[in-house]
Amino acid sequence: MAAIVRLSSVCRRGVNPLFYQSTLLARPLVVPHKCQEQPHLLTARIHASQALYASSGSKAASLHWTAERVLSILLLSMGPIAYFNPSPVVDYSLAAALTLHGHWGIGQVLTDYVHGDTKVKMANAGLFLLSTITFAGLCYFNYNDVGICKAIALLWSK
Amino acid sequence: MALLLRTFARQGVCISRPHCSVLYRHAAPMGTTAKEEMNKFWSKNAKLNRPMSPHITIYKWSIPMMMSITHRGTGVGLSGAISAFALAALVLPGNYPDYLDMIHSLSMGPYLIGLAKFGIAFPVSYHTLNGIRHLWWDLGKGFRIPEVYRTGYTVIGLSIIASIALASL
Repeated sequence: MAAIVRLSSVCRRGVNPLFYQSTLLARPLVVPHKCQEQPHLLTARIHASQALYASSGSKAASLHWTAERVLSILLLSMGPIAYFNPSPVVDYSLAAALTLHGHWGIGQVLTDYVHGDTKVKMANAGLFLLSTITFAGLCYFNYNDVGICKAIALLWSK
Repeated sequence: MALLLRTFARQGVCISRPHCSVLYRHAAPMGTTAKEEMNKFWSKNAKLNRPMSPHITIYKWSIPMMMSITHRGTGVGLSGAISAFALAALVLPGNYPDYLDMIHSLSMGPYLIGLAKFGIAFPVSYHTLNGIRHLWWDLGKGFRIPEVYRTGYTVIGLSIIASIALASL
């Protein structure tokens, strides 16, 4: 979307002047004179699930997006905390944040590359299983072994 | 919708100006959701056994493109490594310090150890720094092409420096 706005400032020649006043979702196109059959403005078809279809739209996707960013910022702050204040609380928080961030991240990769209802369902089920095992393993490691912070410290001391 | 409002604000256009009413005057909402449309596209083309148009094989690679896929690659790689570690913790007998001693007893030499540390530190630093760059974009900043390249080079440079610093700890 931002690219379309920038395009108008980059292209000085040969840009339909209507473009400058255009809105982004519903651009009315003026049909050239030679097309006599349809002298009226062409209609842009838009997806109105969020703003106009208030009843059928859901905010789930948008909330998920925001939650992903909040988690990313949280995970960023955990780096220095883990370095300066290692503790079991930090270990378990890191386990949870890392697993969830990875789960949502791989989820986006699957959304991009896997198509078809059954394939998507299978892939997401597999991802859920993997993330569950990952979280269980990390918690087990925190409980029965040295814990994530200590593990990294030991690894780096070698 | 947020993009729409953000762009209007940036251009200093307020909704009350007459040509803005063109926003919805000739727009017809569709009966299907974007997800349904995407599924229809994929199922139709898969059913007709159509090949995919060449895209990454023919388009000239650019720094932003390479950085983007590297961000994804490091993310998937790091996630896989964490999962492998967690699985190993569940399945393998013994405890972590013993395994570390076992690896250390292979006496790989300082350069190989340094290289291994760099190999761990670089994906982490790159993904973290590029992640910050992504969050910067999510705030709506830094989309001008020169800015994209400038922040990109900064991320690459800082990643290398940070990885070398971490590897030499």
